[in-house]
Amino acid sequence: MATNDDVLCPFCGLGCDDLTVEEESGGLAVRSTDCPIARDRFAHTPPAEPPRVAGAPVSLEDAVRAAAMALGAAGAPLVAGLGADVDGVRAALALAQRLGAVVDHALSDGLYRNLAVLQRTGWIATTLAELRNRCDLLVVAGPDPAAFHPRLYERWVAPTPAFQNPPSREVVFLCGEPLDSTRAALANLPVTVLPGDPARVGDAAAALTAALPDPSRAVGAAGIAAEDIATLAERLRKARYAVVAWAASAFHGPHADLTVERLVRLVHDVNRQTRCAGLPLAGHDNVVGANQVCTWQFGVPLRASLGGGAPLHDPYRFAWDRYSDTADAVLWISSFRPEIPTFPTGKPVVALAPPGTAFADEPAVFIPVGTPGIDHAGHVFRSDTVVALRARGLIDRGLPDVAAVLTAIAAALPQEAAAC
Amino acid sequence: MLMKLAGGRIHDPANGRDGAVGDLFVQDGRIIADPGPGATPDEVHDLTGRVVMAGAIDIHSHIAGGKVNIARLLMAEEHRAAAFATPEPCGCGGAIATPSTHVTGCRYAQMGYTAAFEPAMLPSNARHAHLEMADIPLIDTGGYLVLGNDDLLLELLASGAGEEAVADYVGCMLNATRSLAVKAVNPGGINAFKYNQRRLNVDEAGPFHAITPRRILTALAAAVQRLGIPHPLHLHGFNLGVPGNAEATLDSIEAVEGLRLHLTHVQFHAYGVEGDRKFSSAAARIAEAVNRRPNISVDVGQIMFGQTVTASADTMAQMGNAGLAHPKKWVMMDIECDAGCGVVPFRYRDKAFVNALQWAIGLELFLLIEDPWRIFLTTDHPNGAPFTSYPELIRLLMDRDHRLARMAELHPDLPAHTILGSLTREYTLGEIATMTRAAPARILGLADRGHLGLGAAADITVYTDRPDRRAMFEKPDLVFKDGRLIVRNGVVVALTPGRTHVVEPAYDPKIESWMGRRFDERMGQRLAHFRIAEDEIRGGNGLVRHACRPGAF
Repeated sequence: MATNDDVLCPFCGLGCDDLTVEEESGGLAVRSTDCPIARDRFAHTPPAEPPRVAGAPVSLEDAVRAAAMALGAAGAPLVAGLGADVDGVRAALALAQRLGAVVDHALSDGLYRNLAVLQRTGWIATTLAELRNRCDLLVVAGPDPAAFHPRLYERWVAPTPAFQNPPSREVVFLCGEPLDSTRAALANLPVTVLPGDPARVGDAAAALTAALPDPSRAVGAAGIAAEDIATLAERLRKARYAVVAWAASAFHGPHADLTVERLVRLVHDVNRQTRCAGLPLAGHDNVVGANQVCTWQFGVPLRASLGGGAPLHDPYRFAWDRYSDTADAVLWISSFRPEIPTFPTGKPVVALAPPGTAFADEPAVFIPVGTPGIDHAGHVFRSDTVVALRARGLIDRGLPDVAAVLTAIAAALPQEAAAC
Repeated sequence: MLMKLAGGRIHDPANGRDGAVGDLFVQDGRIIADPGPGATPDEVHDLTGRVVMAGAIDIHSHIAGGKVNIARLLMAEEHRAAAFATPEPCGCGGAIATPSTHVTGCRYAQMGYTAAFEPAMLPSNARHAHLEMADIPLIDTGGYLVLGNDDLLLELLASGAGEEAVADYVGCMLNATRSLAVKAVNPGGINAFKYNQRRLNVDEAGPFHAITPRRILTALAAAVQRLGIPHPLHLHGFNLGVPGNAEATLDSIEAVEGLRLHLTHVQFHAYGVEGDRKFSSAAARIAEAVNRRPNISVDVGQIMFGQTVTASADTMAQMGNAGLAHPKKWVMMDIECDAGCGVVPFRYRDKAFVNALQWAIGLELFLLIEDPWRIFLTTDHPNGAPFTSYPELIRLLMDRDHRLARMAELHPDLPAHTILGSLTREYTLGEIATMTRAAPARILGLADRGHLGLGAAADITVYTDRPDRRAMFEKPDLVFKDGRLIVRNGVVVALTPGRTHVVEPAYDPKIESWMGRRFDERMGQRLAHFRIAEDEIRGGNGLVRHACRPGAF
């Protein structure tokens, strides 16, 4: 039984790199933290299984050939999921370019609510170490992001700010209740809960923005009383370094990007008086890394069509769940989790996912792949978009990585004249 | 394979050749001696009458990293409008001010450049920058590490640490991030902005750590010298863009007391407050100081007119400029207790007095600073202009008539505020070869680049000698990278990967135990994970190390 110390967890985008992971006969077990995501994902290490074509076990070579055939014959393919490390994403984008495909990440909903605002108005943002060391007032907007990023408070909020004197910190939950685990992690800090309507957090942000110039004239919003808005506006004005954090994927309803826009406006206006920065959280399955690679390679973010001529980004048309209706073939990549969505029938699906993935409908081709940070080393980006990390491989189940499989599929496509 | 480049006019200032006709022989990617009459070249290019130079090297161009990707996202309009700036149907992105990695490599190579260096790699973003640089085809890259606002360094200085400990810290950080040089951006200012300070004077103690910018500047310049890093401290100075900032620039020159210092995009730091508009050129004073001190080098950061985007770690300055954003949107980020980033789209207008004078100040600096070994051709891409405007800039330097004609089209008050009209200097081909090839290689410590001597990497550009210097430098006839033809008549004919240039200065590893604790306590990241392994750079292929020489500079 081997023990791995200082293991880097690639799953939720917080970049925790202090895990102790033990190798047991049945797989891996996380010993150092209760984080449910780390425990669940590291524990899911069933043995390798053979690839399948139409449900029948085949060799990797045959599966690659079948995948190339199915994708090469498509007129409007979708290459999505993109749950892969940087090398896997590079290979996926290269293949998508060959195929003329639309590309998107499985979990890009929250990311695009944020990016839409960044592209429309810009913003003032910060990163996790700034939160940890400088923030004296953390405002958590909407549902508690700890549901998606379980160790957020333990690692980035509970520690004493190193670069503030005096090193004080308080936390306010706006239109959202902290989870029990959050309350436990913040036991030593002053915590205020303003439990307004989580669906109207944007209204609360707008009321705060309006109250900033003169808190005495605050009005209530989203079920939060005027005096509470006034008090929070006053605290934002007096904070030395306030951080407003949110997980946009938790915002419900249409046009949730408008909620983000109002939070961004609040952050902007607080900076007239003092310092304040936003912390948009969205980072599962390397969605941030996938978007970074796409942006540097093509100049546009994901939800892009590489279907000929210039790469075209359209966050509405090329969202994978919408485009999967139009597409006539799907390549779905999910190396971080054994899950795959259901697609409309009548089109071939090529799935790259960990062994043990359950399918509602058997895909045309299934190729089991290793998970970055478990089976092989791989680069992933942290939620704050700045820090890229390399997770190392822990065990060898004999599984190929996404990059290798996709490179083989690209090589098995009918040859054409190379682009420039 | 043996290749002969026959009969070209060779401009190779590092080896004292200024247009003499000669042959070059290339084998295995290197320039070799004439193998004698017995050898039969596999490939011969007749270059009679053509101009031959080493591949050009851009010492300061923001080509990769977090702020560049933010700029791409923010400039969505440009990616729609200029999505297809190329005739070849490669579909690999587009844009001019914020090109994709592919377009970056292609456009540089098409202009005869074979290397460009990212001058603002934040420690926390270094791994990202390297991953991105590896996707830039055709040209060599490398990064300058931004220090001087990192809380760890400021803590170290505040603790009274000596010169040796600071050098050890800098040495460790350079090795860990696989960097080529040290950059300081508004030392102390970015850190102070995180405490809501919007200005910080050179001798004013910053918030929290209570360290003055002067102390940071001198400590870093001394560390660079002590570690023997070939490139001097690369300084983005104080009060960028603020009228009157020339005083701080001159003060920086004095502060380093004879140590080597590189002042980057000095055009943005050469402003006075004279005249009816309280905005004037201080180029003559800066040039005079640079001419007098051989320890000082500069790159200009020329502005050219049109839409671009400014991207800088200097959040203090960028927040001050945010009101000028065009289009009206901008991004600021406080980053990871080491720096920040500010991205502000901007349109330089030729009919605006301020922009016209900025243009003139840049050209005054080019023409007044005498030694082409100590002044470098940059637009601080994309901040002053996209790098694709270099051919026009070269024409402005080489062609006084063109310069005067262009000046006549600008804001009518300009001539009264600049001496540009009276400057008769025209750069020669040899001087252009120096400032874009030989000098950049020398000041970065790239011993085998930027020249065409024996053993040099065969990065070679061949031009037709046209009177229209813009046309000449826009479209070389041939470009070779490591001996391989990559561009012919402006068209990319082969996609080769570049290399990544780094230094690995020696330092006392004792500092790592202090740093390791700080990383655990502050950064939420193990120092061991922060460190970038050799095989992370271009998958283990293409790392080029350059020697550090403690005591040599």
